[in-house]
Amino acid sequence: MSGFNHEVIFCIVNTGFSETVMEAAKDAGARGGTILNARGTANKEAESFFHIAIQPEKEIVMILVDAKIKDAVLHALYQKAGLDTMGQGIAFSLPVDNVVGLTPWKAEIKAAEVAAEKAAEKAEVAVENAEKK
Amino acid sequence: MEIEKRIRNRIVRGTRAKVSMNRLKILITVVGRAKADFYMDHIQSFGVNMQMVLFGQGTAPREIATAMGLADSDRAVIISVIGENQLQAALESLAEKFNTIVGGKGIAYTIPMASIIGKSIFNFLSDNRDAVRRNEK
Repeated sequence: MSGFNHEVIFCIVNTGFSETVMEAAKDAGARGGTILNARGTANKEAESFFHIAIQPEKEIVMILVDAKIKDAVLHALYQKAGLDTMGQGIAFSLPVDNVVGLTPWKAEIKAAEVAAEKAAEKAEVAVENAEKK
Repeated sequence: MEIEKRIRNRIVRGTRAKVSMNRLKILITVVGRAKADFYMDHIQSFGVNMQMVLFGQGTAPREIATAMGLADSDRAVIISVIGENQLQAALESLAEKFNTIVGGKGIAYTIPMASIIGKSIFNFLSDNRDAVRRNEK
């Protein structure tokens, strides 16, 4: 529970492209997300003027990520599911505070364990050195 | 016109009313669908007056999902508006519930609300009952 270490990324894509989004996000280091079904709206007049059809069925993918990898995830989403692709995705992020219920990632746990071991070793060496003196 | 002018002046001068007491936050809770009602009732007990629930699907890989005790991928996203005063208690109790309830694993986080318009709406969302009582007198 600490302030602004995480960000939530919302990615709005055409229905059926949430898997593309999740794959891109996972490659960039995200762990999981939640998919919501939604309906998009567009300017009907503009649609007929430009002769394009906006698919109203959308999926919103909500991904909670560490603030450090936010840029990487957003870049991946822009490239793999951006407006130029079939998914026609829009992605944005919001700063989030007070995160609760996230289980630490295995690698992070391992890294923490290794760091703790190293610290313990250092402390032992320091004690030994102090004893020698 | 007069009011518009006054508001515009306030915005230009940066003297818009700032809230210093009980700022509002949006609390987003993602839990298994079966436990949605339980968590909504629980959050409501912290003086939350407005909640929305959206139904969605989780995307965590199977191994992690089962390790976390989530067999099916149906999720509920609960959006609640909560005052900062009650936030700490609510989050602590949610964290405890996530860790103890069988099949009740989930995540919760808050997004600070930047601005809101309407005094009565603010009082409603922040459960400010005193303000309403004062008005009635």
